[in-house]
Amino acid sequence: MSSERPNGLFRNIPAKVAAIPMIITALVVFMGGSLWTMAYSLTKSKLLPKWKFVGLDQYERLWSTKRWVVSIENLFIYGVCMLIASFVIGFILAALMDQKIRFENTFRTIILYPFALSFIVTGLVWQWILNPEFGIQSIIRGLGFTSFEFDPLYNADIAIYGILIAGLWQGTGLIMVLMLAGLRGIDQEIWKAAKVDGIPTWKTYLFIVIPMMRPVFITTLVLVAASIVKVYDLIVAQTGGGPGISTEMPAKYVYDYMFGGQNLGQGFAASTMMLLAVLVVVIPWAYLEFGGKKRG
Amino acid sequence: MARSVTTRGKAINTAIAWAVGLLIFFPILWTILTSFKTEGQAIAAPPVFLFFDWTLENYAIVQERSDYLRYLTNSIIIACGSTVLGIIVAIPAAWSMAFVPGRRTKDILMWMLSTKMLPAVGVLYPIYLLFIKLGLLDSRAGLVIVLMLINLPIIVWMLYTYFREIPGEILEAARMDGASLKNEIIYVLTPMAVPGIASTILLNIILAWNEAFWTLNLTAAKAAPLTAFIASYSSPEGLFYAKLSAASTMAIAPILIMGWFSQKQLVRGLTFGAVK
Repeated sequence: MSSERPNGLFRNIPAKVAAIPMIITALVVFMGGSLWTMAYSLTKSKLLPKWKFVGLDQYERLWSTKRWVVSIENLFIYGVCMLIASFVIGFILAALMDQKIRFENTFRTIILYPFALSFIVTGLVWQWILNPEFGIQSIIRGLGFTSFEFDPLYNADIAIYGILIAGLWQGTGLIMVLMLAGLRGIDQEIWKAAKVDGIPTWKTYLFIVIPMMRPVFITTLVLVAASIVKVYDLIVAQTGGGPGISTEMPAKYVYDYMFGGQNLGQGFAASTMMLLAVLVVVIPWAYLEFGGKKRG
Repeated sequence: MARSVTTRGKAINTAIAWAVGLLIFFPILWTILTSFKTEGQAIAAPPVFLFFDWTLENYAIVQERSDYLRYLTNSIIIACGSTVLGIIVAIPAAWSMAFVPGRRTKDILMWMLSTKMLPAVGVLYPIYLLFIKLGLLDSRAGLVIVLMLINLPIIVWMLYTYFREIPGEILEAARMDGASLKNEIIYVLTPMAVPGIASTILLNIILAWNEAFWTLNLTAAKAAPLTAFIASYSSPEGLFYAKLSAASTMAIAPILIMGWFSQKQLVRGLTFGAVK
């Protein structure tokens, strides 16, 4: 394994060669691309990238643009709600399913189906289900509740929650299946011991089982968090950012300024902000997961 | 869990589970049903569920207006091409990390995975410029390369977790018997890791199939896959729901069918290897 000998660099040459294509990919594409974008976010690029240094002007303008501030707020609302709701629903469902149920494999497949669909399809389907004229509202009104109102996508104050519903539909199945796997990994003896000691089931879950599932929670957290920051196609397909700017998201802002608004510098600055935000979350996680233990 | 579940309890759990399953599946079912309705029936209030005049005209119109097979071919080539390319690059890398770990292996893995979390918009423009320079814009080859790069971290990570479960002694024995490195990977490691590789391939095909951000932005007419096909039928006024449903059904059918026949790999793949 790790060697202190001076020729360490030349040991296991084949192993290092085998990993090179992958490392180059990560280095050139992701690091290179991100650094390039960062550098040009300090310029006055408009239609084409031009090296005309203007310092932090683009960032000043970015944070004084209402659409960007709304985007950040939306990402925050969507992210927090998504994390909490999908974890709670996913865990409760998993605990329910953690008994023996019939046709479990088929059930898991169906639960995971939404996750196997493109966000474009999800967005379009939910755009329609949430449409007041022929979606849920019209079905419930048809049942006799004529004053029932449910039109999140047409009300700027709550439109972001309409997006959230679609996001939850797509993502909760994955979380449930992951949590179910985690619950199955818990030693049977623990349940027996808790029962003998007379600990109520909910307390066993809360204070014994959930802390034991830490690795599963972390994997899930990483997967969900990564999907939240990227949210782009769902918005494009479901609301196009509307009504008004009420469901705008940072990724869409970047895209629109780079390709639609012909204001590259602004788009670069916005994507750099996103990058920094991700780093603030990822670096502490990476140290917790990989840094402390097992090193050296 | 074997916590003494009674037959009655089991029946109730199964009923709840299937109610949840149906609820989750309903939007998909609804889309499929709507694709067989006329535009009028599709937006009828209150909605009709099963009793309408089934028709195939939406499919005919969609096929006539945009050549489904061309988009399908593009999707298949892009999804499979990027997956094959990714697996070829990832197997040696995962092998080296799982069996010949160095001091930096953990760091490299972490670094790879964190790139997957970086916002894709951050590298969109540099790649776009590169594509213009290399003439790769709106080409299937270009998309194969980009999607391979985007999903590579996930592939490497998944293969690494599978490879780690294979005892290193077997590979060592092969080496003792004089197998070259290439043969060791191709004839010893790969066959043993087939279930893991299959799940990885399935996951990657699905990810590439559904990828919309890159495919919408880097293609125009020639290389556009099914995501672009559905997007072209979306309109904010929602005038063509039946046709949109037909287009969506055509786009998701391959995944639903493929997933149904490989349920085990699907579950394992979609949960990124966490469910064995």
